[in-house]
Amino acid sequence: MSAQGTLMEPTSDTANAVTAAGGRLTSVVIPVVERADDLLSVYHAFARELDARPEEYEFLFIFDGRFVPPAELVKLAQENASVRLLRFARPFGETAALRLGIEKSRGDVILTLPAYFQVEPEGIRLLLEAVSAGADMVVASRSPRLDSWLNRLQSRAFQGIVGGVSEQRFHDMACGVRAMRRNVAEELPLYGDLHRFIPALALREGFRVEEVSVPQHPSDARTRVYGPGVYLRRLLDIGAFFFLAKFTEKPLRFFGLVGSVFLGAGTVLSAVLLIQRVDGQGIANRPALLLAVLFLALGVQLMGLGLVGEIIVHLRSPHRRAYRVRERA
Amino acid sequence: MHNSEPALSVVAPLYNESQNVRPLVEWILQALESYPRSFEIILVDDGSRDGTWGEVRAAATDPRVRGLRLGANVGQTAAMMAGFDNAQGAVIVSLDGDLQNDPRDIPALVAKLDEGYDLVCGWRQQRQDKLLLRKVPSWLANRLIRRLTGVQITDNGCSLKAYRRDLLSRISLYAEQHRFIPALSASVGARITEMPVRHHARRFGESKYGISRTLKVLVDLITLKMITTFRSRPLLGFGMAAIPAVMIALAFGSVWLFSLTHFGPEKAAALVFPGAGLLALGVAFYLFMLGLVAEVALNSERGDANDIPNAWEVR
Repeated sequence: MSAQGTLMEPTSDTANAVTAAGGRLTSVVIPVVERADDLLSVYHAFARELDARPEEYEFLFIFDGRFVPPAELVKLAQENASVRLLRFARPFGETAALRLGIEKSRGDVILTLPAYFQVEPEGIRLLLEAVSAGADMVVASRSPRLDSWLNRLQSRAFQGIVGGVSEQRFHDMACGVRAMRRNVAEELPLYGDLHRFIPALALREGFRVEEVSVPQHPSDARTRVYGPGVYLRRLLDIGAFFFLAKFTEKPLRFFGLVGSVFLGAGTVLSAVLLIQRVDGQGIANRPALLLAVLFLALGVQLMGLGLVGEIIVHLRSPHRRAYRVRERA
Repeated sequence: MHNSEPALSVVAPLYNESQNVRPLVEWILQALESYPRSFEIILVDDGSRDGTWGEVRAAATDPRVRGLRLGANVGQTAAMMAGFDNAQGAVIVSLDGDLQNDPRDIPALVAKLDEGYDLVCGWRQQRQDKLLLRKVPSWLANRLIRRLTGVQITDNGCSLKAYRRDLLSRISLYAEQHRFIPALSASVGARITEMPVRHHARRFGESKYGISRTLKVLVDLITLKMITTFRSRPLLGFGMAAIPAVMIALAFGSVWLFSLTHFGPEKAAALVFPGAGLLALGVAFYLFMLGLVAEVALNSERGDANDIPNAWEVR
């Protein structure tokens, strides 16, 4: 964990008492980034649902950079050992907040929630039940969608692009409401902005991922339009995910493909120029030769990059297992 | 009758082979009926979607059969690795789960291994596959692999192989490297041989291969060559790749100098030749720098037990 958070909690001993009391523990991890409703009402609404379940629970709020824990919540955390507040000194983003929350949580099941009402609180019952029934991860899919067509179009486009890579289709990957077993959470490759791809990442690791429909909360249905920078970042995220999913084990297949296009173009152009030169036309004062050499140079560079990638993958391979055993017989 | 540690492990990766599981297990058991030592069969279900796992579980009621179900479809190489990692035998045999390999060849392969080899590769006789789609590409690929790696194995694509456990602990396979097991084994100093094995036509299910893999094999071969030749000295590899670039740069440079001295400055004023020369020089420099990056990557992994692969116990 590169991003270190400060634990704003009285003592860890009192918090451990939660696990000692009852058997199983559900940790609710709430990253407070970008958007937040009144956190106290978020807490009460979801805590009420969790009260109805047999497991004990704890809440972890992770405040990113500019978000300051509200005074009432700090008071609650001081009174109630099952509420813990963590704070990043600088903004590190949602992925880092989730990782910190997972690391500091103690539950055998982890429920992630956004810091605002994205789904109706009673929806989390379905998720937790599905995990008890044996799924490794259960993600919520907001349905029926109450958003404007614009937001729905945005998420459709996102889903469409990601769906092409992933084995299983998810209808609402961007939904922050997910329940998972602890071992799943700990093995997710969470860095950068990959939190948006959590279901697909879990699937790739060989876990069983299920999707349940959960009614959307009316306050989540406002139209949101983002700046162009946000869309650009989203697009880069998708690119990174796409590359990760397809080529992490064989980078040369990607770089080699792009590189050979350049090498091919450079070779053809050079051949044409050579023929023209033999034919008697001068080539010294034409930029075409420069272009041909540039293409060849780019091709060689891409191939070289791919090879370095392959060397790194090869060196890492003894430490890495490419499979997960789900069941033995 | 079988104690905890079997002497021989037979590993078969399965992907959507539900109809083949039962005949395969029966066939292997039959073939090993008179095998003097204890053995186990490890069936690896590589994320099948057709009920293969149910068949594996049914087969695993026999104490000599074990099943592994992988969480996702990870491909033949990783599935084989899963089997190898869980195998307990000192000798491990791998074969396809599609009944195309003949388990009756297993005792002979193991006997050959005992003659003092670390790897015995099967060599399919009278291959029962489609000529144009399977045999021709495979023939070309095998020639290329032999040429590039210098390892004289006729049939790299045959899954029926016998390994000494010692060897498998030294090579880590990933991506689609099962094709290159002989070459990778040779690169860590294994003693390798091959022997003819029988091959049958597919009875049930569908082939999981297509022609598109030929191109992928080509790319993988470049990687293999790089890794086996330069694994401990990548700078040398990149440095050698930079030599042609330097020569091209020199050629362009001398053409420019020649035109400068012979045709006068007005004709040599064109910047194309020196420009092209400088670009080529840039590539050489870049490759050299990449070689350094590779050295850094290598260095950061050193001090690892996996880095000393070349000492073998003399038997």
